[in-house]
Amino acid sequence: MAEKTISNEFTKGLWSENPIFRQLLGLCPTLAVTNAVVNGLAMGAATTFVLLFSSIVISSIKKLIPNQVRIASFIVVIATFVTVADRFLAAFFPDISKALGPYVPLIVVNCIILGRQEAFSSKNPVFRSIIDALGMGIGFTISLLILSSIREILGNGTFFGIPLTGAWFKPWLIMILPPGAFFTLGLLMGIFKYLDKKRK
Amino acid sequence: MNIYTRMIIVLTSIGLISGAFLAGVGTLTKNRIALNKQREINEAIMTVVSGAQISSKIYEERDLAVYKVNNEENELLGYAVYAGGVGFQDKIYLMFGVNPEITRIYSLTVLEQKETPGLGAKITSEKDFLQFWKNRDCTKEITLHKPAVNSPEQLSPSEVNIITGATISSEAVVNIVNLALEKIRALKNEGKL
Repeated sequence: MAEKTISNEFTKGLWSENPIFRQLLGLCPTLAVTNAVVNGLAMGAATTFVLLFSSIVISSIKKLIPNQVRIASFIVVIATFVTVADRFLAAFFPDISKALGPYVPLIVVNCIILGRQEAFSSKNPVFRSIIDALGMGIGFTISLLILSSIREILGNGTFFGIPLTGAWFKPWLIMILPPGAFFTLGLLMGIFKYLDKKRK
Repeated sequence: MNIYTRMIIVLTSIGLISGAFLAGVGTLTKNRIALNKQREINEAIMTVVSGAQISSKIYEERDLAVYKVNNEENELLGYAVYAGGVGFQDKIYLMFGVNPEITRIYSLTVLEQKETPGLGAKITSEKDFLQFWKNRDCTKEITLHKPAVNSPEQLSPSEVNIITGATISSEAVVNIVNLALEKIRALKNEGKL
């Protein structure tokens, strides 16, 4: 692969290597927490935070870590930042922390984060890793926002908790239940694929 | 350096540094998290016993806590009861206020639940569920009124409204309350309240 420019390193997370729509990574939290926009945003922000700081640490100490224990080391570093994010949410945003429930601690096993450490941060310098982590994190957050906006508007008639539709609108309950997550994700993935094909 | 020694040293150091870092974060956030919990309980007490000013925890066991609630003049207004039990998907934690004789429920609020969004989660909705819990006669067991009605006047004094499509969640709340009432009555008879 040819050397990528810094801007490429950033934008690949948004489109060509988008973690949700192209790499299909981290789908469990994606499906589970996108029933409201605020939850999607909080999950995206928490994941980006963990991804960014894990990438900084891993890319700085990559030369010290023996190959045989690299995964274990990555996981310990990731788990540390996840716990920080979890405590921070519980202390300062108790409502969001409650709504996300077990999905914050479960960021530890989000494949996007471990995947980026293994595929990128452990092979690239700190600055590039930061750019990569930001691109992937923001790509993930935007994808969650798209998914949760569709689900919240159709399933609850609100956006960020603000009522959008009048009394005439009967919310599609299924959209905020698990099947709605699968339907929406499937359709969006199809649209993404179609747009990508058209672009080429 | 031997590769095994290096592996041990690296993993141990990472573990130690992470542990120390987390201990710091834990200490910094611990008080605030406890404060959040306390504030939530206090707000709930104010909601379920109107005029509540001073409250103190007088009894606690697993899934049940009783708070004595007084007004500004230090007169006993009643008790706020924190209770938890099995819901449809996970445990439901709620709080309700009763008068000092435990014959009347002032009102009820749900603190924690993970019921189905849009169906069971309506147990937190004032319009669909909570308004029907105001001023219930609890000398008898609380029962559910099926099918759902639109206004509290259509219920008999010891009945509460069911949520259409969420029978299990509605029943769960009623069961938690009835069980808690039974327990606090027993406590009252033992002179512990």
